[in-house]
Amino acid sequence: MSDLHLELNNVSKRFGGLQAVDHVSFTVTEPELIGMIGPNGAGKTTLTNLMSGMLKPSSGTIYLNGRRIDGHPPYDVTRAGLGRTFQITRALGRMTVMENMMVPGLAHNPRAGRADLEARAHEILTLLTIDHLTNELSRALSGGQRKLLELGRLLMLDPAVIILDEPFAGVHPRLQDTITNYINRVHENGKAIMFISHNMGAVFELSQRLIVLHHGAVIADGAPQAVRNDPAVIDAYLGHDEDD
Amino acid sequence: MVVFRRFESAIDQGIGRRKLGYLVIVLVVLFFLWFPNDTSQSNYTKTVFISGFFYAIMSSSWALLAGIAGQFSFGHMAFMGIGAYAAGLIARDGITFALLGVSISPESISAFGSIIIGTIAAGAVGLVIGWLLLRLRAAYLALFTIAFSELFRIMMLTEYDYTGGSNGLSLRPLLQIADVDAARQVEYYLMFGLLVVCLLALYWVANSPIGLFLRAMREDEDAASALGVNVVRYKILVFVFTSMIVGFAGAIFYSDVGSERIIPEQLEILQMSLIIAYAVIGGMESLIGAAAGAFISRYLLEAMRQVVITLPFGMTTYDGSDAFVWEPGFWRFALFGVVMVFTLRYMRNGLLYPIITWFSGRDIVMKETVSRRESDDNHAARIEADDE
Ligand SMILES: Nc1ncnc2c1ncn2[C@@H]1O[C@H](COP(=O)(O)OP(=O)(O)O)[C@@H](O)[C@H]1O
Ligand SMILES: [Mg+2]
Repeated sequence: MSDLHLELNNVSKRFGGLQAVDHVSFTVTEPELIGMIGPNGAGKTTLTNLMSGMLKPSSGTIYLNGRRIDGHPPYDVTRAGLGRTFQITRALGRMTVMENMMVPGLAHNPRAGRADLEARAHEILTLLTIDHLTNELSRALSGGQRKLLELGRLLMLDPAVIILDEPFAGVHPRLQDTITNYINRVHENGKAIMFISHNMGAVFELSQRLIVLHHGAVIADGAPQAVRNDPAVIDAYLGHDEDD
Repeated sequence: MVVFRRFESAIDQGIGRRKLGYLVIVLVVLFFLWFPNDTSQSNYTKTVFISGFFYAIMSSSWALLAGIAGQFSFGHMAFMGIGAYAAGLIARDGITFALLGVSISPESISAFGSIIIGTIAAGAVGLVIGWLLLRLRAAYLALFTIAFSELFRIMMLTEYDYTGGSNGLSLRPLLQIADVDAARQVEYYLMFGLLVVCLLALYWVANSPIGLFLRAMREDEDAASALGVNVVRYKILVFVFTSMIVGFAGAIFYSDVGSERIIPEQLEILQMSLIIAYAVIGGMESLIGAAAGAFISRYLLEAMRQVVITLPFGMTTYDGSDAFVWEPGFWRFALFGVVMVFTLRYMRNGLLYPIITWFSGRDIVMKETVSRRESDDNHAARIEADDE
């Protein structure tokens, strides 16, 4: 994982007259644990969509390990090593939990034996405490369990960089601990994780680096304590009451 | 019910449901292999079976396209027609590829060669249509394919100098067997063999990783794509694959195997709707269910042309007979519509679904995991997450 290199250069996205993402640049070269915060509508989800290939930037470039990935279709970005979850969970409803795991497993690793992939899936599901739901249709899962399933699916892709769009939102406190555990474990395995959250407790507890987005632009990027005391951040965001 | 439970547990402890299921399939296949040897069966019944096999191919391949891959297409019959018309036109007129400088005369082409070219033509159009449909979802895809198949039908109707218009087009006969009985026999086995081969091919795809990707695509294209599935490739692939299957089946069926000519009437929306109805009734996410749905429906629709009703309690009709003959005519289709409405409302997975799941043993698995399932995270958290 030493060759990790994600680079955004002046990435912008306009929706008609709205500048949703405004000349965002940053680089990730270590398997860091990065928190991303910003008020609602700051452009966090849009930035995730730009990085994962769901949207094409209006301008700017994104490179992952030397490959240009902006504007590439999502499956291609995924194969290049960048995986993401969705703010609103997108479980494959009428497929079982195991099938949900096998889709990325086989897409990423077409030559692997099913038994090997299934064993790996079981390991991940156990870490996420949903191993007992293996043969359940994923639409029968609770919202929180579906979120865990999404996190699990990502690991089947073995990505170098993982972006989690609001993993804690609307999740029961007990499952939040499972998610925190997951983030730490995945990070220990040498992956870079960027997670978007409104949960300030989790953000300051977990992240080694904090990026603050406001009106689509990065207004702070650095160590959490430094960012916390940054006057621009206090003014734009932390000073006001949190909306979630 | 008690008897059934006893039977069920005896099976579970004995050979197991899955094996019993395979046994039933083997018996059904043996029945169909034996059937034409039953000398009491008329050629007419065999003809009904032959068309039943053909429609089973149509509905089961549509089930892969719509039920498994989620591409609710109305163009399936048109692709079948493309296969048949292309085979017929090439066998009659030959073809010249000006760019390649290759010219194939009608004399140099065999009936089977024309069928292969028809199949390729269906696949090629499937490729173009699949590509055009890439960005269209659900209702728009249905509308687009309706427009496409109507366009094709009207072209075949209007260009009567080439296509024979409403009189239809004769393809080159595939089999040339003088004896009518012997011919029926061979046609029967040919069409049944084709159904078996098509079902095996469909099952092979559905159970391969491709089948898993197709279902992922049906559930959520964006999520599938984010999980590494090349949605564009698989969408086009499923259109090309199913178009070639029905193009091939159509070209064979209308090469005087099941029918002596292809007519534009066969490409009407009603006919396409019937293919869909058979699949829905049998279970559109189950290939074998859709095939069985089509075969049984075709058989019943034929059988219902004339229904002899014997009157009870010694009642007689006005002319003194104790039975009367009801000819439902078009009302058969109305009854059929009622069955379809019932299926969609109460048995979304098709009327055969309970039987198929029973044999697959899947409902056992479901029951177990449901009962083992934790009733953890409280309901509120769940609702919150769903409301984001
Ligand atoms: N597809 C879209 N079309 C138009 N506007 C959009 C679209 N997606 C997001 N936006 C707008 O872009 C801005 C940023 O949205 P988003 O990235 O979802 O913010 P966040 O995730 O930080 O809450 C918002 O004003 C939102 O309304
Ligand atoms: Mg968001």
